[in-house]
Amino acid sequence: MNTEVQSFIQKYDLLGCIQCGRCTGGCPVNTRTDLNVRRIVYDALDEDVLEELANLPEIWDCTACHTCAIRCPKGLKPMEVLVGLRNILVESGVIQPTVRDALESAFREGNPWDKPRAMRSDWMEGLEVKMAEPGVRVENLVFVCCTIAYDPRVQAIARNMVKILNKSGVDYGFLSTDESCCASEIFNLGEIGEDGLFEMMVEDNTEFLNDYDVGRIVALSPHCYDALKNQYPDLKAEVIHYTHLLKELLEEEKLTFDKEFPQKIVYHDPCFLGKQNNVYDEPRYVLSQIPGAEQVEFERNRERSLCCEGGGGRMWAETESHGERLAEIRAQDAKDLGATILAVACPFCVLTLDDAIKAKGFEEEMRVADISELLGELID
Amino acid sequence: MKTFVCIKRVPDTSEAEVKVDASGKDVDSSKFSFDINDADNYAVEEAVLIKEAQGGTVQVVCMGPADADVMIRMALAKGGDSALRIDDPRIDARDPLLSAKALAAAIKGQGEEFDLVLTGCMSNDDGNMATGVALAEELGVPHAAMVKKLEVEEGKIKAHRELEGGIIEVVEVVLPAVVTIQTGINEPRYAPIRGIRQAQKKELKVLKIEDLGLGEDEVSAAASLVEMQGFYIPEVVSTAEIIEGEPEEKGEIMAEKLVKGGLL
Amino acid sequence: MGDILVLAEHRQGELREVSQEMLTKAAELAAELGGSTTAVLLGSGVDSFAETLAGYSDKVLYIDDPLFADYNSEKYQKVLVELINQYKPELLMIGHTTQGVDLAPALAVEMKMPFVADVFDVQVADGKLQPVRQYYQGKVNANFAFKGEAPYLITFREASLEAAEPSKEGQIEKIDSPLKEDIEYRRFVEYLEAEVGDVDITQSEILIAVGRGVKEDKNMAMIEELAEAINADLCGSRAATDAGWLPHDRQVGTSGKTVKPKLYIAIGISGAFQHIAGIKGSKTIVAINRDPDAPIFTVADFAIVDDLFKVVPKMAEKLKELRG
Repeated sequence: MNTEVQSFIQKYDLLGCIQCGRCTGGCPVNTRTDLNVRRIVYDALDEDVLEELANLPEIWDCTACHTCAIRCPKGLKPMEVLVGLRNILVESGVIQPTVRDALESAFREGNPWDKPRAMRSDWMEGLEVKMAEPGVRVENLVFVCCTIAYDPRVQAIARNMVKILNKSGVDYGFLSTDESCCASEIFNLGEIGEDGLFEMMVEDNTEFLNDYDVGRIVALSPHCYDALKNQYPDLKAEVIHYTHLLKELLEEEKLTFDKEFPQKIVYHDPCFLGKQNNVYDEPRYVLSQIPGAEQVEFERNRERSLCCEGGGGRMWAETESHGERLAEIRAQDAKDLGATILAVACPFCVLTLDDAIKAKGFEEEMRVADISELLGELID
Repeated sequence: MKTFVCIKRVPDTSEAEVKVDASGKDVDSSKFSFDINDADNYAVEEAVLIKEAQGGTVQVVCMGPADADVMIRMALAKGGDSALRIDDPRIDARDPLLSAKALAAAIKGQGEEFDLVLTGCMSNDDGNMATGVALAEELGVPHAAMVKKLEVEEGKIKAHRELEGGIIEVVEVVLPAVVTIQTGINEPRYAPIRGIRQAQKKELKVLKIEDLGLGEDEVSAAASLVEMQGFYIPEVVSTAEIIEGEPEEKGEIMAEKLVKGGLL
Repeated sequence: MGDILVLAEHRQGELREVSQEMLTKAAELAAELGGSTTAVLLGSGVDSFAETLAGYSDKVLYIDDPLFADYNSEKYQKVLVELINQYKPELLMIGHTTQGVDLAPALAVEMKMPFVADVFDVQVADGKLQPVRQYYQGKVNANFAFKGEAPYLITFREASLEAAEPSKEGQIEKIDSPLKEDIEYRRFVEYLEAEVGDVDITQSEILIAVGRGVKEDKNMAMIEELAEAINADLCGSRAATDAGWLPHDRQVGTSGKTVKPKLYIAIGISGAFQHIAGIKGSKTIVAINRDPDAPIFTVADFAIVDDLFKVVPKMAEKLKELRG
């Protein structure tokens, strides 16, 4: 076990919990797994039981959506207790091989996808991309994200952003293969601590990014946005999500559309953008500027958005959840609204919702599109 | 149990495009990602499991450049006690017999008697499946190759060799011995970064030919009894019918061919 | 010169085909070198093997002695040292098999023989042997030359060529074992049969095989849908079974099973030779892989060079539709 300076109880302020149950009550995965975070917080008061708790398979069902933290009347973060338990397993070295491989890959190649760092910019092929250089002023330094860089389905987000940025004439720069994982998911997988991989990556990334003279960093993924904004205390630059930038471009008329887009669009609030960082209006504004499109809302929207189950290490950890995936429920909701476009602003949401649409067989009626993809289509 | 485990740093070429470089005798490795050879990773885990069960020490031996230190530290973090890295470009590492000679010299140079030497049965890049068994001969000890399960007893081991068709051949070998390890023998653990940092304190000695007590004429390319004349990319001669179209179309076309062609 | 010795391989009462394959290759080489071929056989109660081998080589030298009832690399090594010293061949061929790799490198070190492993072809240029092997799991070929004096040693890849029909009438000579005493420091204990699960894939008619390209266990669901659509059994490469997606008895390849279905669909499998060797008996091979250079395409009848995650679901859907 760890010889941490603080005990587990102190670290996560477990004694502050009043067992009200609002956490589990709001937990989106609670309906389909055995995960009961309130119960775990209580059980964790007994240090002797920690190892047993760490071996519960359901602790890997948590998506880090933070609903529990938002709802907690005592301002506690129950999901961090789960991360702490994951950390106990990580320290022991005995973790699921897929999680192991993701962590090793993040350490070795700067991405959790077991891809060579040297291929991180391959998505740029065929595009005119302006590259940023350390020390040379750039207004908008774009932080791509490992998943967007390597996964063919969401490379489209980066490719479309390049199109949009070039069209708008705004000053921007991309990082080359030196860009490394923001470590958001490394945190969630539990590789944390005084000498954790997460802390090491934050330190290295901070040093790397601080070498750039930037107006602000524009993150394409809400996960990177959240991490860079909230978990990088020494990062000099301001951090925004790309929807912030798009709103500006549209307001300043640096971006205009001449095509009509007669689609019914429903926007799904990504947890890391909405719930966790209160960015609800900017994406909606951007979508509202699409000529000819009708915007509808989910009943569970904004802070009540239904987590797609992509985050919290879920891309790598096997879980024992049962029943219908939340993403599939979301796909059904979208269909019930008659939406033809399920719009998102997060690569994990794209991937999980895409799978859900396929699983439900709705491909004829609707598609999932990242906001960047929609705008990219419009300016073609 | 005094165990040595020999590991190699290899590129992951499963997805990478492999191109022959200008010299014609090597490949362009600039875009490769490198890591510990798969089978060697299993060997490290096996060595650590043996140490956890029987007590003793595990010394890690690696022939490679400074870039290999990271993976050596990982092996130390998992349970290795100290490491030796042979770093000498004069050694013709592509010849498995010369690699074995150098590794044997490093092990013998440690002075102590050893009980067991583990190494992966095959490297992902060269694929000779020769270094481990050659190493046994250099060390003058018996061996067992392609071991899928290892039982350590007093003064001997029972090695389960995995043969063609999945049959297992159980052999008993007296220690000291060399065992080459097959993938899948165990599930390698994760080495947390904290452990890797702590492993910085463990000894990692870097050795040159002279430190091995060898002469350059014993391990350089001139000493090799074979000469590689050149790499070339084999023509992928395929007589396959290539299915065309969009990815989803290809799936449908293939389905039709299977049904209509009576192939099911 | 130009004489070639070939170590025959056998196990559990059967002569292994690699023996005849090597002898076929040896015959070709010997003809070019102006030498002869000799099969070397060590065993106990192996008269019939000697007869069989005589159909493939000019000469058969065999030892029939209880000491060789089971394979033991240390014993084989001792005998081969004697035979090499006595018969001074130009080349000794040993199979690149679990037996061969357990033996050849040690022999090469002891006898200081020029040695090339996992050779799949041997050319002859100006009367000199040029073994050919591969690097990077089949992505690159390399030609070799032997420096220094014979005897040379190679381990020869299984299924690199088809054995010829037996056409020779080799002279059979039974010799005494130069090894007189048993070896204590390595001894054979027993064979354990491969695990047999619920399905014996060696008997399956339709197989779907998965490899590294499938990426993770959760993707197996998509594969299972396809299997269901056509009543296929599932199997996989070593990567798939090591990762635990399938039990070990479903592994296809040199260290797994050899299969001969009427249809073999390889999904996300690169086709390293160890795998291909296990599927050559398949009637129709369909390969789906993103990498156009994947060696699997050299043995496929149908090639789909694309993203399996896009191809497979549609294929399954269409098959379900067509089959009703």
